[in-house]
Amino acid sequence: MRKAMVLFACLFAGTVWASSQAGEHGVANEDKDAEGEDVAGYILHHVSDSNEYEFEVPLSHNHIPIHLPQILIPLKEGACTPVADPHGGHGEVYPGLGAGCLDLSITKHTVMMWLAALLLIGSLMIWSNRDKTKLVPRGAGANLFEMLVLFVRDELAIKNIGKEEGPRYVPYLLTAFFFILFMNLLGLFPWMATATGNIAITCGLALCTFFVTQAAGIRAAGIGGYLKHLTGGVAPWLWPIMIPVEFLGLFTKPFALTIRLFANMLAGHIVIFFLLGLIFMLRNPAVALVSVPFAFGIYLLELFVAFVQAYVFTMLSALFIGMSVAMGHHHDDHHEGGASHDHGKAHHLG
Amino acid sequence: MFLPSVLAASSFVEVRPGLIFWTIVTFVIVLLVLRAKAWGPILSLVEEREKQIANAIESAKRERAEAEKLLADQKTAIAEARREAAETTRRVQAESEKFRDELMAKSRKEAEELKLSARREIEDQKTKAIAEIRAMAVDLAVEVAGKLINERMDDAKHRALAEQFVQGLPGATSATATRRSA
Repeated sequence: MRKAMVLFACLFAGTVWASSQAGEHGVANEDKDAEGEDVAGYILHHVSDSNEYEFEVPLSHNHIPIHLPQILIPLKEGACTPVADPHGGHGEVYPGLGAGCLDLSITKHTVMMWLAALLLIGSLMIWSNRDKTKLVPRGAGANLFEMLVLFVRDELAIKNIGKEEGPRYVPYLLTAFFFILFMNLLGLFPWMATATGNIAITCGLALCTFFVTQAAGIRAAGIGGYLKHLTGGVAPWLWPIMIPVEFLGLFTKPFALTIRLFANMLAGHIVIFFLLGLIFMLRNPAVALVSVPFAFGIYLLELFVAFVQAYVFTMLSALFIGMSVAMGHHHDDHHEGGASHDHGKAHHLG
Repeated sequence: MFLPSVLAASSFVEVRPGLIFWTIVTFVIVLLVLRAKAWGPILSLVEEREKQIANAIESAKRERAEAEKLLADQKTAIAEARREAAETTRRVQAESEKFRDELMAKSRKEAEELKLSARREIEDQKTKAIAEIRAMAVDLAVEVAGKLINERMDDAKHRALAEQFVQGLPGATSATATRRSA
């Protein structure tokens, strides 16, 4: 526990140092409001995605920008010609998908996501290379890992989806849980960014759950049953109302997943940066006595939130899959009861 | 306020389709790799462990039940043996009692019989003795009578009586001889 606290303090110090760079940028500016804007701009720039990764050299003011490859696929002839920034910013930007240009550029958050994926796969490879003849887990890491795996299997998959169908979705839920957890935690390290604080990434993850949920529904009820479910089981003359409602209902679930994870992961970072930014905005070193402990508290809270949001995303995914699976057997009242009960719990947590 | 303008200019609320694409691709790859390399092994390992634990508990329960059954059997056997021993003792006791009673009854009966036979013998002897005495008395009486008769034979009156007596008892001499021999 003490070792862990030291580790968190070190990580936190790294984050504080990183944000001090923000303050130094702002000091030059005389206008107070403009300085605030500068700090805010720095923070939003820091949490935003970008086409370059800025490596902040320790103990210096240098930023080494690492340009990431831009991949632009024109869907129409000449669609990917740069245009002036519509927001009035400097330089040129590429037109969006609406204009026929598919931007598959590798960004800062893409790199962070891949890093998290590699770390996840690497650590699990190390785990799977241990002595397999021993059934009893040894050490805190192995025990924590197995505890989480069993938690996802028993408390999320089996409870929400059911004993028969649950095990089928365990690999998906485990991957979602650990992938999100690794991305969340990676953002707490110095020089790293939180990939899950990017709405496109959370949207992609939510879409995965969406696809799995629909596939589970079609698998359980068949195409006919799945389409019939979209009518809500009401009289045909109500279908014109019911079908749009049910159709929208399909998309509110992944939308809620997208926004919840994105907002939770982004908010903590912004709060930490603002607390530290206060020191520079108020130009008083004494502010640090208050804002640094506060920021450290938020940092520890973020560590907790990293686990909680991974859990909530996985739990809601399991719940949605469970609801889809329940489509196949409406007579199973117990299962539906269990699902709706957990639904209440989910809203409470979310 | 500066915030709206900052928000408008920043890209953090912008949804980049390319990033969604990369997310899904990465997720699917991670899912496939981990399902093959990590989740399969760990889940089967956990299941195997659960099975082993369940088996161990099951066998422990079974062995315990068996041991309890054995214990109960032993207890029953001991109780049975104890009961049998008690039964045997009781039976032996009863038999010996019965045997003693029988023996007593038999000896008593024998004694009774002995007494009876002795009494009968005494009675017999008594009867025989009385008969003998009686016979002797008759002889004596006859002798006495004979003597009395001989002395008064001179008398003509007695002479006639004796002659009449003798005529009346033709086998008198032989009868007296028979009695004497008995």
